[in-house]
Amino acid sequence: MLQINNLYKNYGKFKAVKNLSLHIPKGDLFGFVGPNGAGKTTTIRIMCGLMLPSAGSVTINGVDALTHQKEIKRQIGYVPDFFGVYDNLKVREYMDFYGSMYRMGSREIQKLSDDLLELVNLSDKKEVFVDTLSRGMKQRLCVARALLHNPALLVLDEPNSGLDPRARVEMKELLLNLRGMGKTIVISSHILSELSEMCNSIGIMDHGTLVASGRIEDVMDSVFGNDQLIITLEEGRDTAVRIANEHAGVKVASVGEQELKLTHSLTKQEIAGMIGEMIAAGVLVTGFHKQEGSLETLFMRVTENEEQKGGTENAVKSSH
Amino acid sequence: MRLNPVIKREVKVQSRSMKICWGVFAYEMILALVFFLAMAIIRQENQYSTNNIYSSLIALYPALAVTQLIILALIVPVRTASAISGEKERQTFDIMMTTSMTPFSIIMGKVMTAIVQSMFFVAASLPVMALSFVIGGMSWSYLFWFFAVALLMSFFSASIGILCSSICKRSVSAVIMSYGFYLIFVVGTVLPIILASYLSSYAYTSGNASSGMHRTLGGVVYSYEENFFLPLLLNPVMYLVEFFVRVMAGESLINDVTSTTGMWQTSGPINLVATGNRWMILSTVLFLMVSFLFLRLAARRINPIKKKALRRVTRKAAKSISPQDSQAGQPRV
Repeated sequence: MLQINNLYKNYGKFKAVKNLSLHIPKGDLFGFVGPNGAGKTTTIRIMCGLMLPSAGSVTINGVDALTHQKEIKRQIGYVPDFFGVYDNLKVREYMDFYGSMYRMGSREIQKLSDDLLELVNLSDKKEVFVDTLSRGMKQRLCVARALLHNPALLVLDEPNSGLDPRARVEMKELLLNLRGMGKTIVISSHILSELSEMCNSIGIMDHGTLVASGRIEDVMDSVFGNDQLIITLEEGRDTAVRIANEHAGVKVASVGEQELKLTHSLTKQEIAGMIGEMIAAGVLVTGFHKQEGSLETLFMRVTENEEQKGGTENAVKSSH
Repeated sequence: MRLNPVIKREVKVQSRSMKICWGVFAYEMILALVFFLAMAIIRQENQYSTNNIYSSLIALYPALAVTQLIILALIVPVRTASAISGEKERQTFDIMMTTSMTPFSIIMGKVMTAIVQSMFFVAASLPVMALSFVIGGMSWSYLFWFFAVALLMSFFSASIGILCSSICKRSVSAVIMSYGFYLIFVVGTVLPIILASYLSSYAYTSGNASSGMHRTLGGVVYSYEENFFLPLLLNPVMYLVEFFVRVMAGESLINDVTSTTGMWQTSGPINLVATGNRWMILSTVLFLMVSFLFLRLAARRINPIKKKALRRVTRKAAKSISPQDSQAGQPRV
């Protein structure tokens, strides 16, 4: 669906995006994560034809986004992080205006806008002036507007910024709905917990570089590894440590009051066997699970190297 | 034919606003003031005259028409100067640029809205204007010509405003810049004549009146001072003066100027353009050409994908990227 190759964007000497290559398959809800100034918005603006890159290419559905602007504009629905509305314009007229900007017929606009306003839960606000809507409603209206011409790709830049918790939940539900309908969605956000609940793939940007990308579980596995096991127990801690040490390929990482953290290279069956041995030896095992990282910890982990690198660079610069 | 969505929306939004009503009210009030002032002057002048006062009412036409054209020259650049910068300030510009509308059609929509609005003002002035036709006995065709001139001047002013709007980020600076541009056309086109008269007087006092002041065109000698009159073709004030002199007196100001300065005897470029209606026609064509040029420039300025820069990027994309750079950009997970 979306293919970005070796994308660069320079503002004078400042490199906002450095050699970004990315592939987003059809039907994915892709979360674009990164600190402020990481280059997310720049990348999104290039995708939407609002900015020209310094180098590189963007392809949507096999069409070059830079050289075929006309076709690409019909394939993209864009929701910016902040947008204004026109005074004295009703919701229905707002949809009509943007529909006609996509050269759609008035009947087609009316039919589609009715459906979309229902989808975004604004069907009772058709005759309401847009500037009187709440921020959450305006954001949902903007999503409906972006979907009016039935784009193949929906791009949302920080759609939840400035929204209250209720509006955020509504927005999340709307995006999940759209994902269920098979829409390909790219969303950039700071709210990582929400992204982890919605997205099936992510890209983490830092200092203009894409430091990690792919399916969330794949990225998690590659960062945290699939080799950490936590066993919670009530009694027999020393016995459990002894049994664990007896197994080749198992290393006790830490021993807590009621918790044993192991790194291992065992198969599922071997883990089951080891736990069975512990229980047979009188250890009161109350539970065990694979250690799972959150998107927050993943983000902190993959960006910390960049921070260190940036810090070192700054130190070198300041020493000169 | 599909109506430009920008015009449709703007006209709808503006018609709901009280601003337009107050605007028309202020416009009519100014015209009423000018009307009464002109009537007072006409009455004063005809107080001791045996002439029929009604024939003097013809003077209402230029008084009201000039007032209207001045007002339009002042308000149209303001309307268009805030058109693009206003969209940027309102943060609706990016959304607009991601739609299927081309930058030129967006620009045209904004300009046409300003013209529709200014023509609305002109139409609202019809009852007052009609007096000089009904009582003054002027031909109705002059009303049509006034509409045509108002349309042309609105288009020209709007194109200046929209160009400035595409250059400036803030509406206020765009408005100031468009007045500056307007001033260049009004004052800047007169400057060469002042320079010519200075050169001429210098040549006269230094006794070189005949040397270096003449050129040949098609074998005919002409004074090159004449060339300094040509920028006046793009002077809006000159255009209006020429128009009203033609309408009211049936004469041509530019013909008078060329004949009194002796240029009439030469066959230089000024006589090629000043004969008959050529000055007005050429001036109209030039105003239209400059206006379209400004619209094109404005459309080019708001287009985020500049052709030249795009060619550079596509050329770069065609070249292979160094292996070191390629590795640096790969995700490290």
